[in-house]
Amino acid sequence: MTTRQRPSTSLLGTTALLFEPPGEMNLGTQQRIWALAHEAGAWPEIREAVPGMNNLMLTFLRPPRRLEALEALEARLADAWDAAVARPREGRVVELPVVYGGAGGPHLSDVMAHTGLSIERIVELHSAPLYPVYALGSHPGYCYLGGMDARIATPRRKVPMLSIPGGAVSIGGAQTGVSASPGPSGWNTIGSTSMCFFDPAQDPPATLQPGDMIRFRVEGIVR
Amino acid sequence: MIEVLSSAALATVQDLGRTGSLRWGVGTSGAMDNLALAAGNLLLGNALGAAAIEIPVFPFKVRFGEDCAFALTGADCAARLDGQPLLPWWVHQARAGQVLALGLPQGGAQRGTRAMLCVAGGVDVPEVLGSRSTQLRGAFGGHEGRSLRRGDVLRAAGAGAACKTGFGLVPPALAMPLERDGLPAVRVLPAAEYAGFDPASRSAFWAGEWKITSQSDRYGYRLEGEALRPIAPMELRSHGIVPGVIQVPHSGQPIIQMRDAQPSGGYPKFGTVIEADMWRLGQAPIGSRMRFIETGWDEAVAALDEVRAWLDKVARMVELHRAAPGARR
Amino acid sequence: MRDVALHASLFAAWLADTDIGLFELRTPNGTLRLGRQGDDIVELPVEPSDAQGAAGAALVTVKAPTVGIFLNGHPLGNAPLVRIGERVAAGQTVGLMQIGPLLLPVAAAEAGKIAAVCVGHGLSAGYGTPLVELQPL
Repeated sequence: MTTRQRPSTSLLGTTALLFEPPGEMNLGTQQRIWALAHEAGAWPEIREAVPGMNNLMLTFLRPPRRLEALEALEARLADAWDAAVARPREGRVVELPVVYGGAGGPHLSDVMAHTGLSIERIVELHSAPLYPVYALGSHPGYCYLGGMDARIATPRRKVPMLSIPGGAVSIGGAQTGVSASPGPSGWNTIGSTSMCFFDPAQDPPATLQPGDMIRFRVEGIVR
Repeated sequence: MIEVLSSAALATVQDLGRTGSLRWGVGTSGAMDNLALAAGNLLLGNALGAAAIEIPVFPFKVRFGEDCAFALTGADCAARLDGQPLLPWWVHQARAGQVLALGLPQGGAQRGTRAMLCVAGGVDVPEVLGSRSTQLRGAFGGHEGRSLRRGDVLRAAGAGAACKTGFGLVPPALAMPLERDGLPAVRVLPAAEYAGFDPASRSAFWAGEWKITSQSDRYGYRLEGEALRPIAPMELRSHGIVPGVIQVPHSGQPIIQMRDAQPSGGYPKFGTVIEADMWRLGQAPIGSRMRFIETGWDEAVAALDEVRAWLDKVARMVELHRAAPGARR
Repeated sequence: MRDVALHASLFAAWLADTDIGLFELRTPNGTLRLGRQGDDIVELPVEPSDAQGAAGAALVTVKAPTVGIFLNGHPLGNAPLVRIGERVAAGQTVGLMQIGPLLLPVAAAEAGKIAAVCVGHGLSAGYGTPLVELQPL
C-alpha cells in the first residue's frame, strides 16, 4: 500500500466526503479521527460523521452548492485534522469466548495456506491482543477492530460468501472482526462466538463503542 | 387494514430511509425509487416521507379491509381494483373489501421494475431509529424487520378519512428523461480509486453498455460488461460508503451499492452514481442495459436541484387541486 | 345559412393550416360543421335538431375542465383511452388534461357513444373547450 504524505479527501457522489489521512494504521491516528468526527459532525453542512479504519466519512445534510464551497470545506477539514488531538477513551473490556476452526471457522485452512502458520500459532496470535474498537460499520453493531498481528493478515476472498452467521470471527486483509448478524462477507471466517451486539431499543443501540476493547478467549480449537 | 394476499413477493415497507445511524453500522435502507415514494405521498396529501410498500416482484395482491385512499407510482403494472383497470401514477379510492392486483411491469422503453403502493396517512408501523424503513440485515424496522408474507396485515394511518382522488401525475421518467445513445443512463462522479484503474478500463466504463445481471437486488446491482482492471492491486482499509458507490472486486465486474448495501466496505471505488439519479437505477429492470455519464460536482448538485424543483412543483399543483372545490370521487 | 355557407371555404382554408379536428360554428342563421377526412377539410352533415340551437342538441359535448394540454391516453401507454364509436359509461375517463406535472381526468358526464374527438393529442385547450362529443344512449 502506498503511503501518502498528505490527507486525501474524495467524493462519494454528492452524498458524502471521504477523508483519509496518511500513515500506518494505528490507534493514535484513530483517536484523532474520533476527535475530528466530533468536531466535523457538528458543522452545518454535515449530517453525520462516520469513522472508519483510520479514515472518516462525512455525509452531507446540505451538499456545498458550488465547487469552490466544496473545496473550502475540504480545506477546513484538513485544518481541523492538523489541529485534532488524540484523546484516549476510557472504554470497557469485553471478553468473547471463541471456538476456532470446525464448522464455525471454514476458512481457517485458507489463512494457514496464505500465512504458512499452524492452526495453534494462528489461534495464539489472534487471541493474544486486546483489540480496540476503532469504529462500527458493515452491519448493525459490527465492530472494526485494530491491533491484529500482521503475521495472520490474509486478503479478502476472491469470491465473497453469500452468508456467514452472526458471531462469525473473520480476518479480512490486515483486520479482524465479529459478525453481529447473518449476512454476506468477503472475509475469511476462522471461528465463532455468541454475543448480542445490537438492540435498536437501547440508547445507544450498539453494545460496543469506539474506545471499548475486545479480547478473544480460546474456548476450543476444532481441527 | 391492508391484508397481503401474495406469497414470496419480496415486498417491504420503506420510507425515505434511516439517517444518522451509519456510525452504528446501520445502513439507510429506504425506497429504491425515492421519487415514486415522495410523489405517491404528495398525491395523497401525506408527509413526503410517509412509509409505503415497495413491490419488486409480481404479481402482487392486497385486500383493503376498510375504505382507504391509495396511490400507485413507480412501475406501471397494469393494476386492477376488483378487476377494473387503474391508471398508473394515480391516486384512487378503495372501498372496504376491494382487492388490488398488480400484474407485470408494462411498457417498452419506460418499463420500470418496482411499484410503490402508498396509502392514506402512510403505512403505520413503529419508527425505529427515526425511520419506518425495513432494515433487513438487522431484522428491525418496517413490518417486523422482514419482507411481507401472505396473511400480513398492515394499517394505513389515514384509512377511512376523506381524500380527494381520481387524478395523477406525468411520471418523472418522462418529465426528466436521461439517455445516452438510446439507453437509459445515470450520472457518476469519479471516486477515490478512479485514477488507479487503467486508462482503457476508464474509457470502457464511460463508453460501454452495462447489463444489470440477475444477481441484483436491494443490496447491490452486479453489472456485466468489460472488466475494469486496476493499474496495480489495491487493498483498502474499511471505510464508510453510501448507496450509489460503484465497487470493483477482483473479477473486474462492477457492483453498484444500493439502498440495503453495507454502510462500509473495502473494495476499490470507481465512482458513485449521483444521489439525484438513484431513482432511475431503482427502476432499471434486471437484464436491461444502461450507460454511465461522467459528471462534475456542479452538474451533480444542479441535478439534485432539478429533482427537488420537480417535487416542489408537484406538491404545489397537487395541493391546488386538492384544495379546489369539487366532489371527492 | 347562406351567410355561413359563403364563409365555409374561408373557414376551411384557415382550418387546413391548423391541427383542429372539428370546427362547428352555430349562428342564429344556421350551423356549419367542418371536419377532417385524411388531408382534406370536408363539410360534415348538420343534424336536423342542431339547427334548433344549443337546447335539444343531439350530441353531448365534454368540455375541458381547465386550461391545459389534452391527451387522448396516458403518457405511459400507447393506446388512446377511447375510440370513435366506443360506448362509455357515465363518469368514465375519456381523456386527460395535463397541467404541468398534473394529470386530470376528462370524464363523460353521461353514458354514450364517442362521436368525435375534437382536439388533437398533445395540443392546448382552454377552459370550456369542447374535447369529446358523445351521442347519448
